[in-house]
Amino acid sequence: MKERETRDLEPGEKWEVQLRKGCLELAILAALWDGKRYGLEILRRLERDSDLIVSEGTVYPLLSRLKAMELVRSEWVESEGGHPRKYYSLTTAGKHRAIEMSAIWTRFSASMSRLLAPLAKGK
Amino acid sequence: MTMANEVQQKIDNYLSRLRAALPGLPEDEARDIVEELRSHITEKTSSSISAGGTGSLAAVDATLAALGSPEELGRQYRTDALLGRTEGSRSPFRILRGLFQWAGLSFAGFFVLLGSIFGYFFGAVFTLVALMKPIHPQSAGLWMIPRGSDFEISFRLGFGSVPPGGKDLLGWWTIPVGLLAGGTLTLLTTAVALWLIRQYRKRLMLPKGAA
Repeated sequence: MKERETRDLEPGEKWEVQLRKGCLELAILAALWDGKRYGLEILRRLERDSDLIVSEGTVYPLLSRLKAMELVRSEWVESEGGHPRKYYSLTTAGKHRAIEMSAIWTRFSASMSRLLAPLAKGK
Repeated sequence: MTMANEVQQKIDNYLSRLRAALPGLPEDEARDIVEELRSHITEKTSSSISAGGTGSLAAVDATLAALGSPEELGRQYRTDALLGRTEGSRSPFRILRGLFQWAGLSFAGFFVLLGSIFGYFFGAVFTLVALMKPIHPQSAGLWMIPRGSDFEISFRLGFGSVPPGGKDLLGWWTIPVGLLAGGTLTLLTTAVALWLIRQYRKRLMLPKGAA
């Protein structure tokens, strides 16, 4: 279980893991903002633009949950290489959710930055 | 064994372990999950081979390691599917069944299960008293029984007899009061259990597992 695994981590690392977890939903919705993508493409995008991904496997159950919440839909498409890929795209509800979450994030991170500014100078 | 066979065998082995870690999911959903992961493994492996250097065995090992264990992956899918199904139901039996499985997956589930068993148990007891009252009017109900100079309040389902001098506190009111209390408690337990499941799902966008 996760509790047991994270107990070995330093408190700072543990907090970072929680933080990443909390952001992953928004990150995935954002990665689908400009069109449909399949799992590996979403992963590559997240790896390129962020350091959110620790275990690649996590993204797939999360996509399946987003689908159950009707924030994304999925379809199987045959690739040129011959193997099928499962593409995800945002539903209308998913777009609303992404906008809403990103507004909250922007507000939150701006206020955190203001609050943390003295700490950066003090160093 | 050729290299290609060995690679294929590693992939098949991983996927059959994943499939085994998905009991209770509808067949088409489980197949969909396995095929999605197969697609991921195939493409990731072949792209890291063509990117250079690595042999196919090393490439497939790296791909599978990055995914995490199939059992852990299966557990993440299962918790989701389970809570989703339970959240959509209203029947105490289905909720309890879902909670039993959830209890096996996390501590939070265990405590919600305990509370729900408690709530449903007393809901059933109150309802039972109301139903037994017409059959055993002389013993079902809430009784005040003399004990020396003191009294004892006794809640009886209608089995056995009431000691002499016992006073039926509610009389025929036992029926409406029992039904109302039993029904309210059952509905309340259901509502609280479903609310807790919803909170848990919302709070943990990712359940235990990885980051």
